[in-house]
Amino acid sequence: MKGTPQTKARAPRLSERRGPAIQNPFQEFQSYSFFTKNIPLDRIVQSAEGVMDQIRMGYEKLLEEEAKELVWMVQYNTIIKAYEVAERYVREIDYSAEDIEDFCFALENTQKIPYLIPGPAGLYISALCNYAKEEEIVLKLSELKTEINLLGFRLTKGKRLLIEGDGGDFTGIGLEGGDLVVEGNAKNWTGAGMRSGKILVKKNIGLHTGEWMMGGEIHVGGRVRGLGNIVEGKVFEREKMVFPGKVRHPNMYY
Amino acid sequence: MEQNGYQKQVREIYRFISDHLYYNRPDMEVKGDHFNSAILLSLLTALNRGKELIIGEPGLGKTTSAEFVCTLVNQFPLGVIWGSEVSGHPEQTEEKIIGRPDLGKLNRGEEDVVWTNFSQIPVKIVDEINRLPETKQSMILDGVDRGNWEYLNEMIINDEYCLFATANYHDGGTNTIIAPLVDRFDVMVESRYPGANLAFLVGKKRRKDEILRHLRYEKELYRVLKSKIAYEKKMTRMEEVCNAFGEHLHEALGVKPLQRQDRNKIRAEMEILGLDLDASAFTRMFLAECSFCDRYGQKRVVENCEDGCHYTGYLCHEIKNCASNRLPTSMTQYAQALAWFLGDSAVDIEHMKAVTPYAVSHRIQWRDDTLSQKERSQRDDPFPIFLAKEAVKAVSQRYREQSDYIKDALAIGAKIFQGESLEPLDGDHPLYREIKKDVQVRRN
Repeated sequence: MKGTPQTKARAPRLSERRGPAIQNPFQEFQSYSFFTKNIPLDRIVQSAEGVMDQIRMGYEKLLEEEAKELVWMVQYNTIIKAYEVAERYVREIDYSAEDIEDFCFALENTQKIPYLIPGPAGLYISALCNYAKEEEIVLKLSELKTEINLLGFRLTKGKRLLIEGDGGDFTGIGLEGGDLVVEGNAKNWTGAGMRSGKILVKKNIGLHTGEWMMGGEIHVGGRVRGLGNIVEGKVFEREKMVFPGKVRHPNMYY
Repeated sequence: MEQNGYQKQVREIYRFISDHLYYNRPDMEVKGDHFNSAILLSLLTALNRGKELIIGEPGLGKTTSAEFVCTLVNQFPLGVIWGSEVSGHPEQTEEKIIGRPDLGKLNRGEEDVVWTNFSQIPVKIVDEINRLPETKQSMILDGVDRGNWEYLNEMIINDEYCLFATANYHDGGTNTIIAPLVDRFDVMVESRYPGANLAFLVGKKRRKDEILRHLRYEKELYRVLKSKIAYEKKMTRMEEVCNAFGEHLHEALGVKPLQRQDRNKIRAEMEILGLDLDASAFTRMFLAECSFCDRYGQKRVVENCEDGCHYTGYLCHEIKNCASNRLPTSMTQYAQALAWFLGDSAVDIEHMKAVTPYAVSHRIQWRDDTLSQKERSQRDDPFPIFLAKEAVKAVSQRYREQSDYIKDALAIGAKIFQGESLEPLDGDHPLYREIKKDVQVRRN
């Protein structure tokens, strides 16, 4: 009757039907013993997929906890807190440097990772780099359409991070003795708050470079748009030391 | 597996035909034995109640090979077979093929049918079937397919019959055999030129068919056929005469023809032969390639296969039409018959590979580019059979490369159907997709 809620009758499942069963077209192979062949490549692929799933889940949990409604503010406190959350998840995963690279690729290229939010993604990748077993990690980011911020956050001593492509904002901030190389350009706030270590940007760099930098060196192969308030450390532009040196006004023209 | 010695008896018949009646070279090898395909397949057709299309150049023994086989397997004197043949020509009518009104009774206002010999006897030969106009070919479709002959609302049903049709290659007087009629033939075989030396022997030995004639029995059989008794009684009476003729042949020629109960027992023995797993898997693989289409769901003659399809390397890309359901029936029946003939206890992949080209050659419509690529290839067979043999070779090669995996996939399919939660195997061949589709039906 119209307007009366009715439970829709469920179609009987195959096991419940009283009529004849569907003919099994494979009947004669019933007794054939098959062996599911597991070749080394299958095992490697399965293993890699398992690790990627764990890494992906860690990232999603970070977003759940820190990026409410996909909004994330770059502030000192949020960065520290988000990094701590990322560390917590990353520590539990057994991964390799290749897995970090695969994760970077998967950020934009699979349906399994629905959101690429540059800040949390960069912190998560930084945590992965800092806790990786390998000393040297290469991230191929030149194909990514989105620039990831906060790469190389707190890169520790003994670690070398090579970014093929461009870095986003806040690249190498809080560096703690590590060696960070950017093959392309870096944006603003590069090396902000770094304590020690070396950043090499082979092309151009943006504004506020080395803001509140406490030590270490920043080498730029191209142009430095603007320096930040540097406490200590050195900045080189095309092998020429620009800090400590003459006061520079930011170049607003390019 | 020799039971009741029937294989031996049938092989004697084969040998007698090839030594005394139909001279030709062996052109078919099965498990190390060599046979002439025209005699062997005609023999299997007669035993199996099959339908065979025999092609060849004029005068190369298309009709006579069928006549010899029918005489020795069904015990009909050659004269009766001659009198029962239908010849294809444009003026052929239903009255000449199936039956006519009994004119005497019609004058009295009664309808009764005088059936032709062709429609009554269990061995049917249609000579030069492709000279029948296409409209007239449709007349014999149901009779060819099921042995049902209908005229003036009366029907006779042949319980046991085999059909041989001959066809010359296309010339000014021939028509295309319509696709529904072609599909009803189980196998197509060529009656070849025997070579100059054997042809010379054929010329030397005249009237060899006289040994298969007997005037008295022929008269008796014509009398029975013309009589007004019920069809079932006619058949019983005919059988008695045929048995007597068979005894005569045995005494005169030393070869023992088969009686009706022998043929029934042989068919029963053939039918219980099972296919081994390789034969089954190979057949499924072949059928999948002849029917699958990734883009359109199945092959259809009105839908073109596009270039760049993932399955370009398979048969489905080279053919236009879809394999009919008669094809696996023909393949299985003839493979069983061949396995029985060879004395094997089961049908294996060699039997299947031997019969498949003959079962499929007339059913496949090849794409034009495939035809033009291969028409100048060196070969012994006529072009359609050559293409079919090449196709079977290619599928067989693919089967050899992945037979274990295919059988695994089929076994997993069986388990899924039983309710086990397994995932069907992935693979490149169309058969894996077909297995997945069938398994999906089960899950739904």
